[in-house]
Amino acid sequence: MKESQAVDTTVDLGGISLRNPVLTASGTFGYGTEFAPFLDLRRIGGFVAKSLTLEPRVGNPPPRIAEAPSGMLNAISLENVGVEAFIGEKLPAIPEGVTVIASAFETDIDRYAEVCKRLTGVPRIAGLEINASCPHVKSGGIEFGQDPAVLGQLVRATRQATSLPLLVKLSPNVTHIAEMARVCEGEGASGISLINAVQALEVDPETRRPLLANGLGGLSGPAIRPIALRMVWQASQAVSIPICGIGGIISAADAVKFLLCGATAVQVGTSNYLQPSIAADVADGLVEYAKRHGIPRIRDLVGELEFPSR
Amino acid sequence: MAEAIWEVSSEGAVPIRAEAEVLRNVSEGPSSWRLVLRVPSWPGFRPGQFAMLSAGAQQAVRRTDPLLPRPMAVYRAEAGAEGFDVEILYKIAGRGTALRVAIVGPLGKAFPPPRSGERVIIVAGGTGIASVYELAARLAGAHPVEILFGARTASDLMALEDFEALKIPLQVATEDGSAGVRGLVTDLLETALEAPTPGSGRRVYVCGPTAMMRRCAEIASENEAPCIAALENAMACGFGVCLGCAAPLREGGYALVCRDGPAFDAALIDWERLP
Repeated sequence: MKESQAVDTTVDLGGISLRNPVLTASGTFGYGTEFAPFLDLRRIGGFVAKSLTLEPRVGNPPPRIAEAPSGMLNAISLENVGVEAFIGEKLPAIPEGVTVIASAFETDIDRYAEVCKRLTGVPRIAGLEINASCPHVKSGGIEFGQDPAVLGQLVRATRQATSLPLLVKLSPNVTHIAEMARVCEGEGASGISLINAVQALEVDPETRRPLLANGLGGLSGPAIRPIALRMVWQASQAVSIPICGIGGIISAADAVKFLLCGATAVQVGTSNYLQPSIAADVADGLVEYAKRHGIPRIRDLVGELEFPSR
Repeated sequence: MAEAIWEVSSEGAVPIRAEAEVLRNVSEGPSSWRLVLRVPSWPGFRPGQFAMLSAGAQQAVRRTDPLLPRPMAVYRAEAGAEGFDVEILYKIAGRGTALRVAIVGPLGKAFPPPRSGERVIIVAGGTGIASVYELAARLAGAHPVEILFGARTASDLMALEDFEALKIPLQVATEDGSAGVRGLVTDLLETALEAPTPGSGRRVYVCGPTAMMRRCAEIASENEAPCIAALENAMACGFGVCLGCAAPLREGGYALVCRDGPAFDAALIDWERLP
């Protein structure tokens, strides 16, 4: 491949056509418009909007965030404007030509399906991501994504509720991620996103209390990247539906790692806070990487990890 | 006096992100510093706005620890031949100095300006002084304004000479009596509000530790003076996305310090539930 030749950056993420494989992760990118001063949204593959519930939802009391080594904990509790306000107010404010993936979250399976139904047929929404993995919502005890039977019911119900491409965002707080990935594939998911935040606890030794008002929180950022790479690789060995890799990406090199481990696309999360134009920089950096390595199509990198055979 | 001296809404100056050269980082006391950043693209700011600062060259964000940028009040910005020099006053609470700093700002809403003729009392505690210089500077000469500045000890009193140069009344209180009167700045506020004020009322602006701002809100309320508090919650982004900086409201629910503040009508804040 010649230096001057354009790199083909397009990917197909379970029926969602992306101009490049760099998305931004739900909960770290608001409803898109907040980033307008810093970033042309058309430079990235698209964004996953903040998770939506049927009704607007107020978040946890503060402190809601805490810093950790190369990471942060959060316990926001999925504060959001609700599905109707998203459709009526937030979506129309997003510039044309930007790929929008809506994210659904609820407290029971019927309500999850309701959110999916409501988002289906709405112009501008290219696909749905089911948040099966938020680690800090008290309601319901364990996460949907922690029990294969419950996860199966969730994917089945949401799959029936929408004709849109359906991604399932998995929890990392499980023993066998491959099993969870297989459940999603078996129930007709178009793809899987992983990982969500890792359940975590940070403590103030002086007050003997957790740093977060909620007690537990979700750890995100570069601290969890190697865990995420491991889980993406394990899931990619188990299923053939596409994977969207998430976890501590702060550079194009990090994105390449996820592609090599089997991710078709990636989501940039916590680093949007540190550097609001980072997702576009990662997308540009992927092109530079491809040129430097003589790769005509970014998607040729997917799954190319040379893992030692046993 | 004109109705509004500056615009309050966050509309207007679109925030920028820039890698800024550190021109100076000079001591303002044992652990206090004045950071002067060269930011050619700085769009200007209004009193009460802030910026998010990350230490270290940010090309592709190589540094991951400490991970998060820090919200810092914009102290003042001076136009020079090569663009704006943005000043930040801060207290060292962590690691590291660097030759370059990434800056995202200005962010947040400005202080609401006082009404015509209102006597303005600015109360600052410790590093809270950094949030009120621009407010004091814009009011000086145009409006009745005075400053009450409190700190633990004399060496924590940053930037005193800047405020003296504004030639507005300045009272200092330190807890150990090493400068000004011995005691709390909130005592100074009580005394100030006891004094009868001719004309069209008083207004309190406050920035400092939560307990101090809460007490100022109480004192202002007892004296039927409006009180504007600039909150300093921890946050990860600074522009309404991480939702980490939630401030509890008395009417229930939360406001975001970065987007809805940092300046709030103190009567709206549920001080009991604010960490």
